[in-house]
Amino acid sequence: MNYTILIYEPQKEFAARKDPEWVRTFFPAWPAYTKALIEAGILVSGAGLEPPETATTVRLRDGKRLVQDGPYAEAKEQLGGYYIINVPSLDVALDWAAKCPAAPYGNIEVRPNLDPKACS
Amino acid sequence: MHYTLLFYFDGQGFSGRKDPETQKKYQDVWRPYRTALEEAGVVVAGGGLDAPGTARHLRVREGKTHVQDGPYPETKEQLGGFIVIDVPTLDAALDWAARCPIAAHGCVEVRPEIIANPCS
Repeated sequence: MNYTILIYEPQKEFAARKDPEWVRTFFPAWPAYTKALIEAGILVSGAGLEPPETATTVRLRDGKRLVQDGPYAEAKEQLGGYYIINVPSLDVALDWAAKCPAAPYGNIEVRPNLDPKACS
Repeated sequence: MHYTLLFYFDGQGFSGRKDPETQKKYQDVWRPYRTALEEAGVVVAGGGLDAPGTARHLRVREGKTHVQDGPYPETKEQLGGFIVIDVPTLDAALDWAARCPIAAHGCVEVRPEIIANPCS
């Protein structure tokens, strides 16, 4: 079963990515976490996202394209990245979510993926 | 350049995927979009997410894991899935976003992937 771990981070954590001290002291937790997922043989895919101010949103209404700068939801915390993992149960997915380096300062959402056959 | 297209659905969008009456209609609009992306050779990764009611979110504070039912955050529209595409410019990414079936009634957020990908 595939689960997606969605990583929501507060604005100051996005800003910290540019801080050399953060890069030196905290960033190594991310490749270590990714490596643990790979070594457990459960990582399907994942990506880190640039900060919300780099986002653009698109809607089509009456055939017209409406493009706006900024992320879709004006929330205090924004999606910072995700991992898709293949594990047998939600409990195992939650265990991995709790180990994510952002869990102590952000919010991690865990959601089952749709059966890919349902979308094809 | 990798861009992530984040698809935000409303409640109706989610129920439409599971209801046998509307499921075919859903598949009929998504299938050509998926095929177009694949034929263009731009898909890096992606996943459809189950309805927000299936989500849990968690945070770790002072070493304690707190798990709650439901998605994070509580907004009217929720992430329904995402596709990472490899295209040369934001404009090309916006073109793909505008072609996505959900653009006509939901919203698509387009965000660049960070260069220092934690997965690499």
